[in-house]
Amino acid sequence: MVEDEALLSRQLAKGLSDGGYAVDCAAEGEQADVLVSTELYDTIVLDLGLPKIDGLSLLRRWRAAGLTTPILILTARGSWHEKVQGIDGGADDYMVKPFRIEELLARVRALIRRTSGFASPELQCAGLALNTATAHVSVEGLPIKLTSHEFRVLSYLMHRQGKIVSRSELIDHIYAQDADRDSNTVEVFIVRLRRKLGMPFIETVRGLGYRLRDPAQPGE
Amino acid sequence: MLRSLRSRLILASVLWTGGLLMALHIFSMVAIHHLPRFRPGQLGVPVSIAIAVMCAGVVVLWFSLKPFRRLRGTLAAVRAGRDRQIAGSYPTEVQPLIDDLNTLLADREKAVQRALTTAGDLAHGLKTPLALLRQESERAEVSGHLEIAENLAQQVDRMTRQIDYQLARARAAASGGSGNARCGAHESAHALARTLSKLYAGRALNIVVEIPADLHFRVQREDFDEMLGNLLDNACKWARTEVRLHYAESALITDDDGPGIPEDLRTAVLARGVRIDQAAPGTGLGLAIVHELADLYGGSLQLCASPSGGLRAILRLPVSDTPQPLGSRAK
Repeated sequence: MVEDEALLSRQLAKGLSDGGYAVDCAAEGEQADVLVSTELYDTIVLDLGLPKIDGLSLLRRWRAAGLTTPILILTARGSWHEKVQGIDGGADDYMVKPFRIEELLARVRALIRRTSGFASPELQCAGLALNTATAHVSVEGLPIKLTSHEFRVLSYLMHRQGKIVSRSELIDHIYAQDADRDSNTVEVFIVRLRRKLGMPFIETVRGLGYRLRDPAQPGE
Repeated sequence: MLRSLRSRLILASVLWTGGLLMALHIFSMVAIHHLPRFRPGQLGVPVSIAIAVMCAGVVVLWFSLKPFRRLRGTLAAVRAGRDRQIAGSYPTEVQPLIDDLNTLLADREKAVQRALTTAGDLAHGLKTPLALLRQESERAEVSGHLEIAENLAQQVDRMTRQIDYQLARARAAASGGSGNARCGAHESAHALARTLSKLYAGRALNIVVEIPADLHFRVQREDFDEMLGNLLDNACKWARTEVRLHYAESALITDDDGPGIPEDLRTAVLARGVRIDQAAPGTGLGLAIVHELADLYGGSLQLCASPSGGLRAILRLPVSDTPQPLGSRAK
């Protein structure tokens, strides 16, 4: 999240992590540029009125460099001419301040879902269902209670069904950059998830990472 | 020719006086010597010369004062916003005055620009604190202070609407009707459709735009975007499946297949900042802004029922028929 107003940045970060996301904050363009070039983000929330480099130039630079991460512009500039410039500059969504945190969360969720190719908020894999909007998880219709970290792991795997996800990738996406990271905890989350889900949805690909798949289908 | 107004006036008065003296002289000769045996035939030539000279004086005067009439016309054009400066050359006595007037106009324009920038900075500067206040209201709601949260959110909404509205008005008032403005409707409409289909990506809306490629309006691009953007956004907000924009009978017509607006409410939504549905934020305000902007440009906005079931918005603006320079047409 790129936002130069410190208090708003803190509140937004809190709102987003309450919504189940790991958030890194940058207060100005240079810092954001460094973060974006070193980390792989699911989505970027970008303010336009930034010190040093303005948000629009940053956006154009990223898109010119081939960055495909969905970007949501969150700005005080609300005229239609500015919206057109933002979207034509390569943004995927545009929100005008002030805003409701629920709306931001809903739009971020939809953005991430759309980029992974899902149209509805309900992600499914065989009997396993995960609703990104309500954070509701169920197996064969029976609801399952997950902690927020377990939910993040499962949600990340669900968005990438059938693909191998490495352990370090998982860590990057469930923890914010400055959080106390411990790669062993990922294993703990996976073990707990497997126990709670009951069926072998999560498969370990030796030496590479994890993969979520339909337990009825034979693995390769 | 004589460039100085003074020399023109002198020439005019010399001609006039000469003619007058001649006429008086002849009149006195007639009166003194020929009155008992009056013979009009002999007087014909000098009398007509005298009249011709006097007429010449009047004509010269008329031509001398012509630049002032031209100036009045130019000033009216500046006032109406068709011109920014007083162009053309004037007699040497008037030219310094024209230069001063032009400097004054330029200063005034700069002052308006400065005021506008200040207003814009002020508005944008207020929006981040408002966003913060809005988050605070949500925090208050979470911690159980429902009434405080509600009041705070309401006031934040009111302030936001005021800022948006006044900002749009100030922008339009400054640029409103400036004559050399020219905006390509086709390009702007397609850019807006692109933007809206991204903003409403979750709704699978079909946005159809049918605008002639060579249609231009005498409107600033920013203001045109604001008007059409608000109309299309409002249509998208309510449409079930399709939003349509086309140009017919010299009007831009936006149709949606949503619920529409009841007839008795249609005038109300165009009034300042009325919201017919509190659930959809900003509704009505957008239409009121379009109404105001169109008015400033000497255009109009009408609402009626759409053949596709929802609301039809008819926007009329002054069309620019200035022929395009060859260079830009080739592009």
